[in-house]
Amino acid sequence: MKDLVVRLSALDPDAGAAVRVIAYFDQLVDARAGLATIVRGAAVLAGCPARLADRERGVDLRVGSDGRRGAPDGPPDPSWLSTPVAAGGSAVLWLERPGPAGPVEVLIDASAPPEARRHAARSLGLPESGLARAVALEGGGARIAPATDGRDQEPWNPGHGPGAAAIAPRAGVGTAVPVLSLPASWNAARTALRLTAEGTDEDPGPRVVYADEMGGLALLAGNVGPATPPIPDVLALEQAAAAAPWMLSTLYAVATTASLRAAAAALRVHHSTLQDRIVHAERLLGWPVREPQGQFRLHLTLVLHRLRHHPAESGT
Amino acid sequence: MTTTSVPAGSTTTPIGPPPPFDPELAAALAAMGDLLPRELTLDLIPAMRQPNPRMPRLSDDDLRRGGALELTERLVPGPQGAPDVSLLICRPAGVTTPLAAIYHIHGGGMIIGDNRTGLPPMLDWAEEFRLVVVSVGYRLAPETPHPGPVEDCYAGLAWTAAHSGELGIDPDRIVVAGGSAGGGLAAAVALMARDRGGPALAGQMLMCPMLDDRNDTPSAVQMAGLGVWDLAANHTGWTALLGEARGGPDVSPYAAPARATDLSGLPPAFIDVGSAETFRDEDVTYASRIWQAGGVAELHVWPGGFHGFAMVPQAALSQDAMAAQLSWLRRLLSD
Repeated sequence: MKDLVVRLSALDPDAGAAVRVIAYFDQLVDARAGLATIVRGAAVLAGCPARLADRERGVDLRVGSDGRRGAPDGPPDPSWLSTPVAAGGSAVLWLERPGPAGPVEVLIDASAPPEARRHAARSLGLPESGLARAVALEGGGARIAPATDGRDQEPWNPGHGPGAAAIAPRAGVGTAVPVLSLPASWNAARTALRLTAEGTDEDPGPRVVYADEMGGLALLAGNVGPATPPIPDVLALEQAAAAAPWMLSTLYAVATTASLRAAAAALRVHHSTLQDRIVHAERLLGWPVREPQGQFRLHLTLVLHRLRHHPAESGT
Repeated sequence: MTTTSVPAGSTTTPIGPPPPFDPELAAALAAMGDLLPRELTLDLIPAMRQPNPRMPRLSDDDLRRGGALELTERLVPGPQGAPDVSLLICRPAGVTTPLAAIYHIHGGGMIIGDNRTGLPPMLDWAEEFRLVVVSVGYRLAPETPHPGPVEDCYAGLAWTAAHSGELGIDPDRIVVAGGSAGGGLAAAVALMARDRGGPALAGQMLMCPMLDDRNDTPSAVQMAGLGVWDLAANHTGWTALLGEARGGPDVSPYAAPARATDLSGLPPAFIDVGSAETFRDEDVTYASRIWQAGGVAELHVWPGGFHGFAMVPQAALSQDAMAAQLSWLRRLLSD
């Protein structure tokens, strides 16, 4: 309960009110009030529905902000505030609202006072003298990972908690910077995120992009968006894509591999099949894609196409 | 067990420690803390009447409930030789057929409040049952001692019943309702209507009513210094209304309905009260005496409830108490 109380108090800028909230729960606990009473207190004080879920005991209790009990409608949303009721136990208390600005949000916020950012860095265990990267996740999430000089191991994956994912999420990884410069790393990470793709036939490309490796594409990303009128090459690519389901993934393989043999291997098709596809694609695009110049023109077109479909997300 | 000697006039059964507050209500009471005065004395009355930013007065828009209710304020003749009485009338919008009505008398210990105090539950009922709420603004003690306040309430009720056609109210379905001091005044106007051949009331809804100026029941003694509206506050309220006469031999039942010797011929009563409040015993006694006189009463004593515990509306006990009020009204009005 203690953790919940601290979080509740963090929502309220009035310190006096926070003290009353803590006293309220302390008293309920002292009086051995029932679970429903405690969940009701959380819901009413937070002004949003609260839930207690305990798979082991088969408990699934939801109380509205008016204090009335009702049936949960679907599983809890991982973005909601939650806290285990007891260390090691299976009971989790949820508030049906996204969490307040945590230390990660503070560290990437250029308008946060330096002292607040230092405090946030300490709470994340990041030494002020060290380097770190901001990571922008698809859907607006943010992470911060300590950085080394090299390419860090899966900085997008916290490895624990509700965000741990079996497959890599789409992520833009920011530049490695001193922790107090993380807002700049965050901006770079968001740009890199726009250059990621689903990694499917319809949207081929890398799921994770490092800002360190964007090169001149970062400049392009800063100037091209959904509102930019498409150049003829992009229109030609999109028409070609509509002609065959294999088109985009085939062209991506051709643009990003050193040889047609490597492209065929990446696509898991026979060399002759790839030859036939390329002849078809070149006719639709109107330029040869096998020579270095044409390959570069194709790669640029694929990137412009991606930027057209990935708007810059509103900042955190 | 600690025992306290009982003042004259009560039973001689030893009085135990105060019954415990309901845990959820106790935590809320502690959290409200400074919202409620520690010890209420007569000299604190002016301060208590000041606007409290944490308990803002309801605005007209609050009362209209997003257009569901139409709001009018009327000044109607008061008692003989006294100023007009202000009635706040909330009526479901667009309904022209005659409706049942709640004649609401606000609480506040006879010394504070106005005709917007305590209205939200009444407005819930107005929406739920499509009924009219008429809330009376009466003059307060100590500036206006007894019988001023209760005569104001009665004058407003008599005018409402006499003008039911104009107000779109079914005169056979008027229920007087009030909490705390308002509950005591509602009980009093029910006695006056009976004795004066006034409006035939459909019911009297007495929510934790303040009925007995003697202030010496076991519950009043047990809860001294605890909860909301304790022995000292109650002493202050009754003294404001009655002055030196408080607790003496010559108090009118229209001031303190517990003083009535005859509780027969009254409209059906709903009475609720907490087990951990000053008014517990006088309210239970009032219900018992209505039954003993052959009348109809429904009594709810909510365990561990302090005075006015419905001010914590989310608490389980409050939800059940409000549900009981609703179901009584439903039975009363859906005949």
